Amino acid sequence: MNSDLMSTIDAIQRQTSGEDILDIFFGAIGGYGFERFIISGLPDRGQDVRPFVLLSGWPDEWYERYTSFGYVHLDPVARFCFSTTLPFEWSAATYDPSSDLPARRVMEEARDFGMNDGFSIPVHMEGGMQGIVSLVGSAHALDEHSRLELHMLALYAHGRLRYLNTAGDEHPRKRRAITRREAEVLKWAANGKTAGEIAVITGLSERTVNQHCVNAQAKLGTKNRTHTVVEAIRHKLITL
Amino acid sequence: MKVHLLGAHNRARYGDLLEANYKLRHRIFVDLQGWEAIRRPDGRDVDAFDGPDATHILVTDGDELVGGSRFNCHDGPTLLQAVFPGLVTEPLPAPPALGADWTRFYVRPDRREGRRRAPESAALFCAMMEYALSRGYAFITFVSTIYMVELGVSMGMRIVPLGAPANIDGKPTLAAWIEVSETALANIRRATGMSQMLLPVIDLDTRAPHIAVAGLY
Repeated sequence: MNSDLMSTIDAIQRQTSGEDILDIFFGAIGGYGFERFIISGLPDRGQDVRPFVLLSGWPDEWYERYTSFGYVHLDPVARFCFSTTLPFEWSAATYDPSSDLPARRVMEEARDFGMNDGFSIPVHMEGGMQGIVSLVGSAHALDEHSRLELHMLALYAHGRLRYLNTAGDEHPRKRRAITRREAEVLKWAANGKTAGEIAVITGLSERTVNQHCVNAQAKLGTKNRTHTVVEAIRHKLITL
Repeated sequence: MKVHLLGAHNRARYGDLLEANYKLRHRIFVDLQGWEAIRRPDGRDVDAFDGPDATHILVTDGDELVGGSRFNCHDGPTLLQAVFPGLVTEPLPAPPALGADWTRFYVRPDRREGRRRAPESAALFCAMMEYALSRGYAFITFVSTIYMVELGVSMGMRIVPLGAPANIDGKPTLAAWIEVSETALANIRRATGMSQMLLPVIDLDTRAPHIAVAGLY
């Protein structure tokens, strides 16, 4: 077997953080002509995708847009994962552009970010959970051999990230969902402190405290401060 | 739920369970998964690798068989070398006597339904690693669809391919080996929530244990 692939697989399994896997995975998919990727679980309808994201190699702006507007529930590529076990080109994830306007909006906006084309690997987990490893770039040049290699590579990365995410501490997940400062502010809010009191305790200005709450609210897709605190606790982003 | 270890030392006393194992395997692998090459008119999946040297780990619930696995040491003939040589291009990581080939992993389909993790499957993974450690193995080989890689790695096993993946009957298939270690066992236990030893502590070669059964939960 191709020795580069063997060493990539070996390297992925030796990493202890998602950040380290990011560079390795960028390098590996680059060899097949892909430029960007995301590795994520797929949430049930209505759920926020952010706690499910294992590793993002997307442009930040697109990531923010896609996750804060709940695009995962409109995206035909994410939807198509539920109907196949084999990797597929995005063009195979068909939708009716005249009636399915939300799907069309997601695909057109992705195009504006230079993400025209891609290759996605569905991940079916025990217990009916569903994940995806999505690679951005043209899949036209892939032969059967390369498709199998990418499929295997994707499963190694997804598996390792899932392991790291559930191993001992939950820091990788916490870091990606909300910042440490946002978590600190929410913890005080959960303890009944007002923005003014939190400002005194943390040494931040009241305006900054409020901004942290607004940012966390946007990231979690919640409607007000209480809702944000509840969701942060529910997703174990803060502990009391 | 109970986990049973059947080897040369005790298989005579386990005739009924072994027979149920062959029948359930035929139903699962031939009737449900369509492995026509091993279909037999008597409805029993039994082959050259079920001989006296084979070890079976079987899971029962009450009187019912609900899951199983088979192991053949690499110092003798294995399914990997006999049936899937095309998938193997890399050498084994250690001398053959230090490894076993893991085949016919199954959980009865009605036990896999719903969104829960099947405890039968969890028990088989834990028992596999316990068995490998107890035998002093360094590696366990398997041939599977590549989805097994994601599951195994997500539980904290180190899995190394023995060759490139290939499409067999339209399914992406891989031969690989799992590293045997205490760390791997601890990882699998944590991932599956199994906290205790499943297999009895016995000397398989010299002693006939009173009963090779351990309770779960």
